[in-house]
This record gives sequence, C-alpha cells and structure tokens, in this order.
Amino acid sequence: MDWQSTDAIEKIVSHSSADTALEHGDTLEPVRNRPVETPCLWITRASIRKRLYARTPDCRGRMEERTRAYLRGRFRDHYRRTEITPPPSANEREWGYIPWTEGPKTTMVRHRSLLELGSIEDFLERKRPQHVYFSVGRYRDPGASSMTEKEWRTSDLVFDLDADHLPRVTLGEHSYAEMLATCKEALFRLLDFLEDDFGFEDLEIVFSGGRGYHVHVRDEAVQHLEREHRREIVDYVRGIGLDYEELIETETVAGLGRKTPTQRRHLAIDGGWGRRTHRHFMAFIDEILALEEADALERLQSFDGIGEGKARATLNAARTNREELEAGNVTVHTAVSQLAERFASMAVERDNAPIDEPVTTDTNRLIRLPGSLHGGSALETRRIDRGDLEAFDPLVDAVPETFTGHEITVTVTRGGEVELGGDIFTVPEGDQSLPEYVAMFLMARGRAEKEKE
Amino acid sequence: MKRLHARYPFLEGAREAVATEAVDLATIVEQDGAVVDRARERVLSSLEDGETGEPSRDSRVELLSYPVARVLVSLVAERMLIRKYARAEAEAAFDRFTADFTDTTELKSVESSGVDLEDLLAEFDLVDAVHPIGDVDDPDGYRIDVGAYLPLSSDLWGDEWLLVNRALADGRVPISEAELLTLVREAVRERVEDGLPFDVPESIAESLEPEAQAVREVLADLDLTREIDTVVPDLFPPCMKALLDDIQKGEHLPHHSRFAITSFLTSIGMETDEIVDLYRVNSSFGEEMTRYQTDHIRGDTSPTDYSPPSCATMQSYGDCVNKDDLCERIPHPMAYYENRIDDADDDDLEDWREGNAEDEEADA
Repeated sequence: MDWQSTDAIEKIVSHSSADTALEHGDTLEPVRNRPVETPCLWITRASIRKRLYARTPDCRGRMEERTRAYLRGRFRDHYRRTEITPPPSANEREWGYIPWTEGPKTTMVRHRSLLELGSIEDFLERKRPQHVYFSVGRYRDPGASSMTEKEWRTSDLVFDLDADHLPRVTLGEHSYAEMLATCKEALFRLLDFLEDDFGFEDLEIVFSGGRGYHVHVRDEAVQHLEREHRREIVDYVRGIGLDYEELIETETVAGLGRKTPTQRRHLAIDGGWGRRTHRHFMAFIDEILALEEADALERLQSFDGIGEGKARATLNAARTNREELEAGNVTVHTAVSQLAERFASMAVERDNAPIDEPVTTDTNRLIRLPGSLHGGSALETRRIDRGDLEAFDPLVDAVPETFTGHEITVTVTRGGEVELGGDIFTVPEGDQSLPEYVAMFLMARGRAEKEKE
Repeated sequence: MKRLHARYPFLEGAREAVATEAVDLATIVEQDGAVVDRARERVLSSLEDGETGEPSRDSRVELLSYPVARVLVSLVAERMLIRKYARAEAEAAFDRFTADFTDTTELKSVESSGVDLEDLLAEFDLVDAVHPIGDVDDPDGYRIDVGAYLPLSSDLWGDEWLLVNRALADGRVPISEAELLTLVREAVRERVEDGLPFDVPESIAESLEPEAQAVREVLADLDLTREIDTVVPDLFPPCMKALLDDIQKGEHLPHHSRFAITSFLTSIGMETDEIVDLYRVNSSFGEEMTRYQTDHIRGDTSPTDYSPPSCATMQSYGDCVNKDDLCERIPHPMAYYENRIDDADDDDLEDWREGNAEDEEADA
C-alpha cells in the first residue's frame, strides 16, 4: 500500500501547537470518547501536554534541511543493520509515527495497522521516521480511525518514569546524566512494587531514549483492567490515599481465665504499605537501640508531638518488647502507635515511585517502540534485561553502534557539556569534528547543524 | 432447580431455564399479568427502598419476572435507575446466599434451592482467583488475585477498599470472609447491570408502557440529587477556595488539582456551563478542557461519576492548604461545605448562580 495515497493523508492528524510535546514525548495520548476527526479536542489536550513540557530547556529551533537529510539517512543506515523485535500481538495494535518534516509543524501519522505498515523492519528502513510508537491497547480493528470503531480488547499495563516529573530533579541544576540516574533509582522502587507487591512476571523494562524509563506489564491477569482500576494501581505505587488506620488490623483476643476478651491492634506487616511502614519503623527502632540513652531520647524527641515522657516510653518498649514490635504489635504503648503512624507517611515519601499517572491509566496510549531511535536524541529506545539493569548506563548503552567509531563535522549553535558514550565532551560553538554519536545527539536536539558541503 | 433459579435469576443456569421455557417475552408481557406485576414490583421496590419486594410463591412467575424487570429498566433507561435496580437485586441475592451459607439443615441435592460459596465463585469465574488461607474447610480468610479484586471493589465505598490500604503481596489481596461475600455481591451487581439498558422491540415496549410510566413517576418524585445544591463560594473549604482562586487567576493547575475542584463543584450541583462561567474570570482557563473534564466527571461521557477527593488525598497531592479548625474535624471537603451550609442561616445564603444570572441580565 502506498503511504502517500489520499487514504493515508486523510488519516493524518496535524497539530502544529503540539510540536514540543511530540518531539520529546515518549508516549502519546490519544483522543478518547470522540472520533479523532474532531481536531479541536486533540489540539486542546495536546497543548496541555505541551505545557507540561514547557519547562524543557532545550526546545528545538528550526532545523536546516541538510541536517534533517543527514539524520534521516543515518537513521536508515541504522535500521538496515538492526533487528527489531516487535511487541507481542503487534497486528492487533495501533501504530503511529512522526516523519521528519520541515519547520516547527509536527505531523503525526497514526491509526495504522501492521497490515498497512508491512513488516516493522521494512517500514522503518523505508520511512526512517523521527519517532515511532505502538499502542498499549489491542483492538479488533486497530487501523480504524476512531477508538469506538477500533473495538478495544485488552491493554498492557504501562508505567512511565520521566525525569521531568521527578520531585527530586531540578532542571538546570542537574545534568542529563544525573536526571537519568535519579530516574533509575525511581525505577528500582517501581520494580519493587511491581515484582514484590503485585507479583507481576511478564515485565519489559525499556530506556525511552529520552528522559526516562518505561515498564510494560503483560501479565494476563491485568490485561482486562479498565481505566479506573488502573488508577488504583497508580495510587498504590504513589501511596496516594494511604490511611494509617486502615493498615491496622484489629484482632479480638480471648481473655485468659476471668479476663474479658481484649482487642489487639497490630500493623498488617505481611504486605502492602503496612509492610513498608513496618520496615522503616523497625530500622528506626534498631537505630535508637544502638544509641546511648541520652542520644536515643533526643532522637525520639525530634519528632513532633513526642515529648520526654513518650520518648522514654518508646525507648523502654523498644528495649523490653522488641519482639512484639517486630511482630507488628503497636499497642505496646500509645507513643509507639503514634510514632509508627509517622513512619507511614515517611514510607510514602521514601518509597513511592513518581510515575506519570495519565500514561498508566490510559488504555489507548501510544508508546515508543523498543529498538527504534528517538528523534530527539538519536539514542536507541532500549529493552533492558532485568539482570542487566543495575549495570545499565543509558548514556553508554543506548548509543547506537551505527554512530560510533568515526567523526563528522558539524556547526554547533549551542555548545556546552555533553556526557555521552562514557566521556564528557566540552563542546564549544562553531565548526568542529565530533564523534558521530555526539554530533547526532546535538543535531537531534537542535543544538548543531550539519556543516555546509 | 426451578426454585434455585427463581431465587437467583441472574445465574447463567437461570437464563438458560428462561430460554427453555420456550415462550417468548412478548407473549408473557402481553398475557401474563402476574409476571408483569411482579416485574414492576421488583423495579419500584428497588427505587423506593432498595429492595426487590416480596418474592412470588410461584417459582415460574418469580423467575420470569426478572427478565421482564430488565426490559422495564431498559425502557426507562435512566442511569440512576439502572444503578439502583442492580444494587437492589445484588442486595437481595446477598441476603439469600448468606442465609444459604449458614443454613446447614438442608442437605445439598440436585433439587436444592440453595447455593454454596463454591457455586458462586464458579459462576463468576473466580475459583482460580480466590485462595483460602489455612484450612480449606474452615479458612482463616482468603487471598484474592489483584486482577480480580480491582474490578470487583471499584464501586465500593470506604477507604478500606482502596488498594493502597491493602496488604497486597505477591499479587494477592488478603480479605476476610465477610469482604469476600461483599465482593461476590458486587459480582452479582455487575452481572445484573451488564447489558442494561438494551433496545426493546416496539411491540414489547407498547405492552409495558403503563409500567414504564409508573416507574418514571416514582423516579421523578425521588429527590435523587439529595446532595447540596447551593453554591456559596465564601463557604467553600479552604483547599477549594485556593484552587478556585488559582484558576480564576489563570494559573495552570496540575490534573489532580483541576479534578479536585471540578468534581467538588459538580458535587454541589453545578452544571458544566456554570462551572465554565465560574472559571471564566480569566480568559486562558481552557474552556474546551473544562467542558470535557466536567462532562467526564459528571459521568456524561464516562460510565462513572467521580466524587471529589477526600482530605487524605488532597493532603497527599499537596492541595490541602490553609487548614482551619473545622478542617481538623472533618474527613472530606464535602463534609466541610455541608457543615458550613448547615450552620449558616438560610436567608443569608446567596447562591452564586443567582448573583451571576443578575449580572448577565444587567449586561444584556
């Protein structure tokens, strides 16, 4: 099928206001509940997304035609020698891509089925798009132009960790490498939830090629979940709506002899946020047990609402009743219960994974194809084996091999430090010869142009 | 079997039994007054007291009244009716099956009219998803797969059902026996609600028109919007005041904040247009987005209507600001507003919408 036929063009959704978002976005938000032909909504939602990205310091300027031609050509060379593993049920998914186009106007081609694209590898080699995406959803008719006609069946559960959205990252203060490192820490926290709490087994971890990581969960048990169910998962991972009182199990203990039955309250420590709260709490208890008495009391009193009396009671409980605390019993003393409650909010602060909610709740989301190149960085969107994650360095491991081993000459318009391929380059402005992957990165980011022939 | 199906008409087996009765619905609706009367009672009771009324002693009438009741609900096709009806059917089933479980006098036989937990779990495809803790015959609670838990718990009220408050481990949520029964009740509710409303053939619609009219009347009499319908921004909780202020100043709020204020405003009875007007003080507030989001929250474009977030959620999002004394005593922004409205003298309350309407007239 010819891509440029009128049929294809009819399916093109154009939205000039969304260029920034699309150039940096790793996932795309489709239109829900309305056919895509309604452009106003699309633009509105896209421009809201644009606002999210407005903080991005490196908004791209215009790119010279020769630069674009070079990038396209080299993308093709890369796709020629790269094998792409498509996602499972690729033919039931919607596909979309953004071609290299002139000017700031970005055009997204979407609502394509694999049937229309042909094989992924052929398609990538032929079109060498700037960005390429597939849907997390599976449909009866993925090529239909509205969500209703597509007929949704199931969706992967996906998570997006984006350095832009991390609370511990300040743009301008942290380098790209630092942002990605913080992001990876958050990824490990996310995986803790997904692997331990949720017990998911079919996980695909992906470096987005831009500013973060994606996790695709394909366990059968979650495929059918709808939007509001996915929101519960988001809230769980972020600790939203956590109520300490709900983590407390009350058990009626039969009284011995003439005693009447009593209520025993203890923290649910077998799972969930109760287990996390308990871990932090016990670590703290062991910390104060290791201190001199005076220091321990001082440490305890550093908590709001814990005076000397309560500090003593807690220390006493820790010394004489550590096993009870270990078992989750928080009725040992009111001071203990009060303190444990603090650790619930502390657990959320320390353990929560700041995932991007709209990505996870959206069952029709388009997400970047692993193995493809990111047009805004010329880095590869890389699948990462779980075992290799610890050692994975995005700025080394996602550099495409195609672009290594030789230098090219470019005109740098915005210099600065570039950390890539294991080196830090201090790049001045002006004409110079650079390793091709550094040059590609700068060109893709709009910070350099291919030199004039 | 007949009695069993009459008591649990939503079972797959009951549906088949109805099909093999070999009479078509049109004939029943036209000729079988007892069935139609019982169907009408099922629906009206669900609206009036959340129950399904006194069962007919004739198992056949009782069984057939269920599909006819569904037709009746489909004819009226109000979202509130569907929800109330499904809830009432589920409640009735819940009462019956919990009674069955404790009733040990009746020996289980082919002709038994009772069900046990295993039957119900099998009916709703939950056998593999529910795992007893400890002794299988006398379990110490259960664990349910999270993938089954989420859809079943999603309409349940109360923080204890939120996944975040559950001891989730290895993909399973521990639940007590009572909670499992509640989830089964939800499965029944979902089953009843599934497919409602459907298209009703003209001939059947005509025969049932008097009954449909009776249902519409009761529906109209019910004050289904019992909630507050008073808009006095001065009495808003501090968090909502602050968010509204931000919007009116033209600040771009994160999604959750926008959701919080918009769902709050719809919950106090504001229409989409009114919310748009209230936000409009600043021109860059994004009318299209507001409309879309408001319609969505109100449930016009989505199946769920969303309630505003609780204080705990507001806090976790950092939207809880300027707390005052009343805030300390209430768990929810809605409770705050209800309190303030109740405390205020009715005559002193000036609804923002009235003031706004006058302004518009003055402008005109």
